[in-house]
Amino acid sequence: MTEPAEIHTRPKIVGARIKRTEDPRLLTGLGGYVDDKQVPRLLHVAFRRSDHSHARIRAIDCAAARAAPGVVAVFTADDMQSLVKPLRATSRMAGYHATPILPLASGKVRYVGEPVVGVIAESRYLAEDALELIAIDFEPLPVVVDPEEAARPGAPLLHEEAGTNVLIAREFKRGDVDAAIEAAPVRVKGRFRMRRKTAVAIEPRAYLAEHEAGRDAITLHSATQIPGIVRDALAEALDMPGHRLRVVAPDVGGGFGGKGSLYPEEIFVCAAARALARPVKWTSDRMEDLAATSQAFDEIVDAELGLDKEGRALGLRADVIGDVGAYSIYPWTAGLEPVQVVSFLPGPYRIQHYRGRVRAVATSKAPTGPYRGVGRPISTFVMERLMDMAASRIGIDPREIRARNFVRPEEFPYKTGSGIVWDRSGFSECLTAACDKLGYDDLRAKQAKARAAGRWFGIGIASYAELTGIGSRISVAPGMPINTGTETATIRIDSTGAVTASFGIASHGQGLETTLAQVVAEHLGARIEDIRIVQGDSSAVAGSTGTYASRSAVLAGGAATLAAQAVSEKVLVVASHLLEAAAGDLIAGNGRISVAGTDRSVAFREVARAVYSEMGRLPPELRDELAATKTYDPVFGTTTSATHIATLEIDPQTYEVRIGRFVVAEDCGRLINPLIVDGQVHGGVAQGIGAALYEEVVYDDQGQIHTASLVDYVVPSAAEIPPMDVVHLETESPTTLGGFRGMGEGGTIGAPAAVANAIADALSPLGIEINELPITPERLFRLIGAAQAKV
Amino acid sequence: MKPAAFDYIVADSLEAAVAALAGAGGEAKIIAGGQSLVPMLNFRLLKPSVLVDINRIPGLAFIKESEKTIEVGALTRHHQIETSPVIAKHLPVLGCAMTHVAHLAIRNRGTIGGSLSHADPAAELPMLALLLDASLEIASASGRRTVAARDFFLAALTVDLNDGDIVTGITFPKLPAKTGWGFEEVARRSGDFALAAVAATLTLSGGAIAQARIAMTGVGPTPRRAGDAEALLTGKPLGPDLIEAVIKLVRAGVEPESDLHASADYRRHLAGALAGRAVAAAWRRAQGKTA
Repeated sequence: MTEPAEIHTRPKIVGARIKRTEDPRLLTGLGGYVDDKQVPRLLHVAFRRSDHSHARIRAIDCAAARAAPGVVAVFTADDMQSLVKPLRATSRMAGYHATPILPLASGKVRYVGEPVVGVIAESRYLAEDALELIAIDFEPLPVVVDPEEAARPGAPLLHEEAGTNVLIAREFKRGDVDAAIEAAPVRVKGRFRMRRKTAVAIEPRAYLAEHEAGRDAITLHSATQIPGIVRDALAEALDMPGHRLRVVAPDVGGGFGGKGSLYPEEIFVCAAARALARPVKWTSDRMEDLAATSQAFDEIVDAELGLDKEGRALGLRADVIGDVGAYSIYPWTAGLEPVQVVSFLPGPYRIQHYRGRVRAVATSKAPTGPYRGVGRPISTFVMERLMDMAASRIGIDPREIRARNFVRPEEFPYKTGSGIVWDRSGFSECLTAACDKLGYDDLRAKQAKARAAGRWFGIGIASYAELTGIGSRISVAPGMPINTGTETATIRIDSTGAVTASFGIASHGQGLETTLAQVVAEHLGARIEDIRIVQGDSSAVAGSTGTYASRSAVLAGGAATLAAQAVSEKVLVVASHLLEAAAGDLIAGNGRISVAGTDRSVAFREVARAVYSEMGRLPPELRDELAATKTYDPVFGTTTSATHIATLEIDPQTYEVRIGRFVVAEDCGRLINPLIVDGQVHGGVAQGIGAALYEEVVYDDQGQIHTASLVDYVVPSAAEIPPMDVVHLETESPTTLGGFRGMGEGGTIGAPAAVANAIADALSPLGIEINELPITPERLFRLIGAAQAKV
Repeated sequence: MKPAAFDYIVADSLEAAVAALAGAGGEAKIIAGGQSLVPMLNFRLLKPSVLVDINRIPGLAFIKESEKTIEVGALTRHHQIETSPVIAKHLPVLGCAMTHVAHLAIRNRGTIGGSLSHADPAAELPMLALLLDASLEIASASGRRTVAARDFFLAALTVDLNDGDIVTGITFPKLPAKTGWGFEEVARRSGDFALAAVAATLTLSGGAIAQARIAMTGVGPTPRRAGDAEALLTGKPLGPDLIEAVIKLVRAGVEPESDLHASADYRRHLAGALAGRAVAAAWRRAQGKTA
């Protein structure tokens, strides 16, 4: 309950269900995306992409393409060599092999869809016409599609200079896991597989580079999540200082991680624009998006859990193979996802003995990169399946086995076997709240009746914990070329009293223009409508990265708090002079500063005018710019946790799965805007349901991609997504400034496991385990057929 | 994904359209709703030299009721059929099937003539034309002809149309009295092409089935009727054993293909299960019950 007195004196803006201020623009078609940008003399790029999985490029004949109507230039890797320096996603991780990132394939192609030749023409149509005139002499090399085979000595190599396809191998361990598991009275294990997935943002990637010849400067308009990282990378690749490079991410139509890495096409348009001194644009079509945007979730996990007779976990061991595709993506490295699988596998549970081994294996498929949830959808799927398998073996309810194993409130901070430290978060509270919301016990009774009537009705629980808002002490890949742990905000009140708050983050659908305005308004006492949030622009602050890893609310929210407080102090000093009152008696709110207990007040606008425009109104020492820049570093980060519960029914004749209810109880600390948090949960769960039931990038044994359109890459639509109940808990304020925890990815982390457990539960009369996702109707048909044949 | 260059002719009459087709020497494609054609152009799977746009030809979009038939113009959009009271009254199985055709935005553009001419092996309308013993009116520079639906679908994406032909209309006989219907489909998602779909009508006489019609799609290169099962049902009242027999006959009678979304075995399994449900629903409806 909020105290009424507080509401009167200071309306709470943080925590309010404010409608997204960017939505009127986005929903009425007034948004500005990269592809909307009208630029005189614009040239268009089409890429000739590899149709081989792995091949040597013997020769490329571009003569006919160069002579084709409307073609201005044709570039190959050789033509790019003098224009661009190769980049590498470096890391200090032992035994890590970086791979070069180039705008076009050089010497070899390593996946179907890799750009080989860039044609630049007066229109995209003419550029595509010319593609057909390019002749490439490929010498096919052995394909490298099976990650387990690729990891074996003697396997054909994708990157000869690495000497292996295993780009990273790591191990995390604590205690003596083998002894613990050998001695455990109850042991459950499995081989789990999650199939490759891709983000499918509704706006595909798009890049437009403008070159300003007079000062040899480039502005790249990029549908990216990471304008700061791209700017810094381009500075290196193009050998230019940062002030001649600007990367702007305007309105961006979704990212989900797929726009969270540096891409060859991004480097290409910049190099080409500079070489031709004309603006150059490439917009991905959906076929290119499905073949050449980073993919994810492609892991094989062999895992075993040992428990005592009461179901308390004693030891967990796992071997993970990550199929990371052709390159180690920039800047995250190929370790990004597979390493997180073993980092997060122990989940929210007390497990003394642990060993997680991981190998990230290069294959001749599209590179993998960040995708909402990164590693944790897989680790949660595996751990939550093991928990259910153990509960079933012991004969206790899935709810009970989790309750027995959660890290208990008094045990925080708790260090897991992989070294992750959980600060206090509502592990048990989320499970209880989700079960209460669902009416869990009643549903189990209903399930018993449904089962007796021959219906396949299932209930699936998934609990997880994740680390969010990560500061400078924790790195995705130690020694990588970027700092993900800090965020800077500059807040400035101009001479009209308008507030501009600039950040290094890059909103691509999260509503950060609204939530950050709420934080600024709260601490400055300004009105939301007087605040403009500048983001998605590398020139907004001196150093930045972007938006990814559930960081922006925590880090940018923290930086906004610090900068707003600093500006507020300056405002109050001036207002104190204008109102002839002590600064301590002043209250800022709703765009005015008032003297407490009186009707005397002054608007921000008058304060600004006094500072900037009115000569002699203030003594010289008070004429300080109403601006501040502050950087925030949460140092470690904070734990976010949740429990998801899905109910579903499987048609016993057609094997169609219908999800009935979906409940999420989550603890993301203090909510900035519950409306936006709900939306993030809904979207994340929808993508998690996609991972569970629908979405799969399919490569055949020749490395050809078969999911080249949205007919074949099956993304769930609104009709497939159930209504959801979301319960928000705030068990304890974390140490982050403002008490915020990150929550943008959680929906995707819990949902696959909850759905998998619900399906296994529905089919438990047949003794079917679900170890592979997505669990499509075809896979159910085979599993059920095999189980029924045994009976 | 941009199409190769083509000429574009807007035909304002049927005569102009067939003349344009005749003049293109087999290099033309007709564009109506464009919902299948345009993606194929963008993938450059098709590179016609001419597109003949028939959308502005008057008099090709209609639903006309006669004493024994319902005639539907080739340019009639799916959504018009879906929401037509005439279709709902006389061909309710067709109205139901239309709700499974893609999504509303596509149904607002896609046409019945286009869907039948395109003949996707997993589309609903070819199956319905076959189920309902429809016939297609076809015009060309050399005149008009009528082809029964059962003779029209030759192979996957291949129909009895010559280069200069345009489908102008489809005639459906009204369902007889005491006829019930069923429609069952399984698709990966709402609006996707069917992994398998079955439509059935049962016409009763004296408590037994006088006429059974069962059509299927998604389980072979063209839609097909389940002739064995239809024959088995004729003259009998429907019961659980007969439904089981229908399921077995249907499964034995189809030769589906495997693709990314479903194996031949799963499609065969589905065809049987859906046929059983479709005839059961048709039986209930024929007796005036809700399905």
